[in-house]
Parts: sequence; structure tokens; C-alpha cells
Amino acid sequence: MAVAAEEGATSSGEPFSLTPALSRWEKESVSQSSGSNYAFDLSPSLTTFPPLPAGEGRGEGEGLIRSSRLLAAADAQSRTQVSASADSSGFSAVFLRWVPVPRETNRLVLEVSGLAKDTLAALQSANWPATNWPALLSVFVEQPGVEPVPMLGEHRVEGALLRFAPAFPLEPGLRYRAVFDAGKLPGADSAGAGKVTSALQVPVRPERATTTVTQVYPSADVLPENLLKFYVHFSAPMSRGDIYEHIRLLNEANQPVELPFLELAEELWSHDMLRLTLFIDPGRIKREVKPLEEIGPALVAGRRFMLVIGSGWKDANGNRMKQAFFKRFTVGPPDRDPPDPRRWGYQAPPIRTREPLAVDLAKPMDSALALRMIHVVDESGREISGQPFLTERERIWKFLPQHSWKAGRYALIVETTIEDLAGNNIGKPFEVDVFDGVARRLEQKTVRLPFELR
Amino acid sequence: MKPTSLLSIPLGLALLAGTASAANWISGMTEGKVTLKSAGPITFGPDGILFIADTKSAAVVAVATGDTKGGAAKPVKVDGINTKVAALLGTAADQVIIDDLAVNPASHTAYLAVTRGRGAGAASVIVRVKGDGNLEVVSLDKVRHSRAELPDAPVDGVQGEGKRQSNPRQESITDLAFLEDRLLIAGLSNEEFSSTLRAIPFPFQKVANGTSVEIYHGAHGKFETRSPIRTFVPFKVGKEAQLLAAYTCTPLVQFPISELKPGAKIKGKTIAELGNRNRPLDMIVYQKAGKDWLLLANNSRGVMKITTDSIENAESITAPVGGGGIKGTKYETIDAWKGVEQLDKLDAAHALVIRKTESGALNLESLPLP
Repeated sequence: MAVAAEEGATSSGEPFSLTPALSRWEKESVSQSSGSNYAFDLSPSLTTFPPLPAGEGRGEGEGLIRSSRLLAAADAQSRTQVSASADSSGFSAVFLRWVPVPRETNRLVLEVSGLAKDTLAALQSANWPATNWPALLSVFVEQPGVEPVPMLGEHRVEGALLRFAPAFPLEPGLRYRAVFDAGKLPGADSAGAGKVTSALQVPVRPERATTTVTQVYPSADVLPENLLKFYVHFSAPMSRGDIYEHIRLLNEANQPVELPFLELAEELWSHDMLRLTLFIDPGRIKREVKPLEEIGPALVAGRRFMLVIGSGWKDANGNRMKQAFFKRFTVGPPDRDPPDPRRWGYQAPPIRTREPLAVDLAKPMDSALALRMIHVVDESGREISGQPFLTERERIWKFLPQHSWKAGRYALIVETTIEDLAGNNIGKPFEVDVFDGVARRLEQKTVRLPFELR
Repeated sequence: MKPTSLLSIPLGLALLAGTASAANWISGMTEGKVTLKSAGPITFGPDGILFIADTKSAAVVAVATGDTKGGAAKPVKVDGINTKVAALLGTAADQVIIDDLAVNPASHTAYLAVTRGRGAGAASVIVRVKGDGNLEVVSLDKVRHSRAELPDAPVDGVQGEGKRQSNPRQESITDLAFLEDRLLIAGLSNEEFSSTLRAIPFPFQKVANGTSVEIYHGAHGKFETRSPIRTFVPFKVGKEAQLLAAYTCTPLVQFPISELKPGAKIKGKTIAELGNRNRPLDMIVYQKAGKDWLLLANNSRGVMKITTDSIENAESITAPVGGGGIKGTKYETIDAWKGVEQLDKLDAAHALVIRKTESGALNLESLPLP
């Protein structure tokens, strides 16, 4: 467990040393948030469709929406005599039918049957420009007061059928209308032509309020006055747009703090929409700036606050959250000291085991950056595979290796852009005197902390 | 957001003059399908080339829209633009987010970056507003395009990549602008608090790491800030090409484009403090009555018309500036332009805006520049 104090390749400062840390960390375990998707199903029992017309009740496919029901939903005009088609018999019956796409939720294809062979051939010919399609066959969203606009999708002749595949799944709760205008067929006699329409009500999604906030970082109960950000973790993917309506910071009197967060239209989500980054407005943190002088800091040392995530926020499936989330905390003095790896200690794991390496970071660090910016490398600089996790209010960094530790020399490589809770970097506080700080500040990108396992 | 048209105003500046011929912009592109995981800010380059920031893919895609037919701009008025976009996409208005608006300076056609849906499965599309006010989705199935990846930089002293869970870091692109032969990209991470500005050569190179610069500005007396850039615009101040950047929580900052070099650390000059409780949204530059003006849309303080007269003469900050850094630059708030959420320049005399009415409807309309 000897510690060699050795400078990193790009280091220019004093050597860093790692002192062995205490063993009390060993019983900690990782708290993992588990995400899950709640695919809703559109069970036919939720719909109130009229009885099936005789002879039209053929079920088709195993989609969530059964086509027999959907066909039944077509209104009285769904079947008509079309005299315009140049069938040898003079006319044929045209039917519209919604067919679910197998294994897809709310994806449907509209089928038009009963068109004559030469009509279908004319629709496939080069003389039929794509711009003619919407007038012949379109699907519209029916909403009061909304001008109908044909929904984007693809028209195609397949065998004896004309098909329209909407570009997107249909939206629960909305009513759609398909319109086939026989008067727009190639060579149609508009005087005798008719329209065939079919309405489809997509059932409202059943409400399943199951999504929760699983964790908010920093997890500590006492946070610095110049805290820079929160990470809010959810149990299932969330929806974006207007998120700040659902987040409040309340003071001791339960009054909302005015505009404490940097409200970014981008909404800083992780790819999977499970984690939101919430920056405290730096204008309410930094000294000598106008917002701070005029409306004061968002957080005040010695006071208690509560971060509230409202239950009205909808998850990715449009469901409200199971419950509101509250994080109560007390504010301590501001932290303007950059993280200092010279003060970090570690506890070496026994070789030939997969026990975690534990590093005491001397103070709580930004959870996301601590997990991303500390690397374990072997003597040749090759990164060791494994999983880092944080305990003790993000003060202890642990690393569970994928394979058993071997005796030898290792090092931690720490990116200097790692942040503590106040956004201070290694060698650079969040606020620097601009007139001499920039030029002089630490240029190295990483710090190397060697250790040996025996 | 900021089309090249603003650069085509008579700046008389060699730096801003086009250097590549028209054919060069598109000749290296491949034809095929563009798949977008997300569509963030959009902006136009030369020859109807649309740049689309795809934050979720950490990439920018350049698409040759083929929309290059010139002509005079026509007045635009589309009431309930979000409702109409929603109908086109077969959904309800509350399931549609208009992320950005850009006018193609070649054709004066408005393009919208739209997200359909609000969850993880949301789809991104580009919608074009046709001359008759009708909307159409720009098909990206078979278009000439090129793509620049914005990879994370390797870590000094670490070889290979140890296996870890997927990296939740994502860099959002807050603004794009095309300048001469480079695409300028302002980025904001969802983890570390920093502002990066990349300058990527266009046509895109095979590996486009681009230039990443750090910008500091001494707005607030003593302390350097690292606030992210919200929106920016290339602009000429005196004889030198400058970027004017509006920050999320600090003021309007100016710095010379010539300093945008790899690894550079640039000290910007603060020229105006635009007030608290305020977030800048979009910025354009235009000429009127022989003068250059800036128009800045904000979320709570309306649209500001800013004189550029004093920018040139603004004192550079060599000593801490008291009182929050307010220097000579003046602005007036255009009261008639209420509720502006998106702003771009339609032509030399008109802006195109999306604004929210008191009833909550979103309207797309052209307005004479103030």
C-alpha cells in the first residue's frame, strides 16, 4: 500500500501524494436507479365502437388496435359506389380499412380496396405525379377549430390495394379522418364521383402514474451557498418542453425563490431522458454581478430550502408522475477552494480480488463528473475496465474492476475539469480574477496519482 | 438562426468575402438518407445549404436543400403555426416543439426545426413554409449531405477505453452561424459548466475536430465568468470581423473572429449589460438608414434594438468596470414586438418572427425591421 508521489506527464505543480484512507467506506453500496418503460396498450374494451356491419368483421393482425374494430369505426360513408373507376363492370365498391402494423404501437396503414386494375395501373404510372396523392387520399387530424392539413405519409399501390402509411404513429386521444376522393382518380368523371371517408378515434391512453424521481444529486443535506447544479434522476424517460414549470425552489417560508435556475430551452437531458441537469443561475451565484446585486443570491448560507419536483410533470408516455418529490437541505458557507488531489486518500484493494478501490476525494464532488473524469490506468497507461460509483454523499469514489486486481503499479488519471459542488476545477476556482487569472492558470489537462498494489 | 445574408451586406471586408466557388460547397457531399436523432438550432450557409445541429448524435449535418431560386421576399403570415405543423405531423399542438427558425437567404423561405413528441421517442423534422403559407416537410430520404461529428476529446495519459456504462454526457448546441468557410458552433454541456465555441471548416473534413476556444469576459468587475453562449452573430466592428455573443446570464460580449484559433483562450469585451431576469434568444444584424443595428430577442425583456455606433468606440476592459459593466452601448425596447420566441432576417428590410399571442397561439409573421 505504499504510495509513490510522482508527477504526471503534463503536471507542472508539486507532487501529489495519496494517503491510505479509512476502512469505514467498505460497507457502502451503490444505489442504482432502474429505468423502465411502460408501454401502454390500446385494449379494444376501452373503445366504444358501433356494432360491426355484417360481413366486415374480419380481424387482421395482432396489433394493439384490432382492425375489425377499426373498420367498424368507419362512418356510414365508408362504403360507396364509385362510378368513376374504369372497371369493366362500370363501377366497383371502394372500402377504406385501417390495418395495424404488427408489433408497433399506434402505427396503422390505411388500405383502399375495390379499385379497378387499370385504375391501380394508372396510379403507378409516371403520369401520376406524387403531388396528386393528397387530393386523392389523405388522413387528417380532426380537432375543433383546426384547419385540416393532410398528414404526412407515403402512398403506394400494392397488389389490388392502394395503401397510405402515415409517417408517424397516431396519437392517443385524437380522432383521425381518412378521405378518399374518387373524383380525383385518373380519368375520373367528377360528376358521378363520390368521397369515401372513415373516422378513427384512437383511445385515450390509460393513465399510469408510476414514474418517480429516484435521486437528486448532490445527495447531501448541507450544500454550499454557491452550489452550481442539481442532477435529477427519474425512474423512466421523461418528456421535454416547459420543464421549469414543474420545478420550484422554496425558501423557509415555503415561498418560491424567483428564477433560481438557468432556464435553457435546450433542457439539459441525458440521451435516455432519465437525467436532467439543473444549473443554478450563475448570475445569482457570482459576486459583483447585476442579478446578484439586484435580486440577491438564490441560496443563502444558514437558511433552509426545499427543491420540489411537481407531480404534474409528464413522463415520456404522457403520464403524470406518481408523486411529487421534495429535497430538503440547509445551505452552508460558499466553497471557493478548488479540489486538491494532494489531499485525496485511497484504500487499496487486496490483489487477486475484485474488491473496489476506494478514493477519498476530501469533499463531495459533482456526481456526473466524478464518475466520468477519474480513470484507472495500468503502468503502461492503458485504462482498466470497471465500474466507478460514489458513496458518502459523493465524497468517496469507488471503482469495481471488471477483472481481479493484479500486483503492480497503477495510477488514477483525473481530468482537471472535474468540478466540486460549486463548479471549482482542479487548480481553478469557479471565479477567477480575470485580469491575471486566465493567463496564469493551470494549463494541464490531467493530474496523475500513482499507486501500487502488492 | 443567422443566415449568411447578414454577411452579404456591404461590409467591405475581405475576410467575409466568399472564397470558394458555388460548386465546391456541394461537390463533396454524398446522396442518401439523413437520419436525425434530434434537430436543434439550424442555420443556412451558401447555396441553400441547411446546417442542422443534431445534439443527440453530437453532429452537425449539412443538407443541400436545392432551394436556391432567388426572388424577392414575400410577406409571411401563418397564424397558429404550431397547430398547423401539428396537423401536418398528425398530432396535437401540445406534442410539437418548434426548436428553431431559419430563413434561407437564397430564396427567403422559412424553415423550422420541429420536434414531434416530447419523450425519448420524439421525432425531428424540418418543415418548410411555402410561398402560399402552406407547410411541407423537407424530405431527407434522398438528399445530398455531409456530416461533421463533434467527438469528445481524448483524455491525456489514458490509452484505450475501459468498459463503462454509457456516457450520459451530452453537449447541446445553443447556436450555429456560417462564416466565410467555417461553421461556428456554440456548445453547452449537460455536465461541466463551460462554454465552447468550435470553428469547423466547411466543406467538412473527414475528421472534424474543429477548433475549440474558451472565451472570457471581464464584465462584472473582478471576476471571470464561464457562462455559456446563448446566441451569437458575426459582425463587423470598425475594420475587424467580430463575433457578438449574448450570454445566458451575462451581457453582450464582443471578440475578434481572427482570434478563433485552436486551443485559443480569448478575452472578450463586454459592451452591454442587458438586465437580469432575462435570457437572450436570437440575434440578427441589419442595416437601416446607413447604420448597422443589432436586434436581440429576449425571453422577458422583449426585443431590443441596439445601436452599433458605440460598439466600435467601446473601451476595452483593462480595469474592472463598476456598476455591472454598463458601457456606452444603448438600446431601445421595441414595444410592438411582443412575445417573440424566434427571430431571423427575412430580407434587408424585414424580420421573420414566431411570436406568442396573448391567447397562447404561435404565429409566424414578417415584420418591417424597426
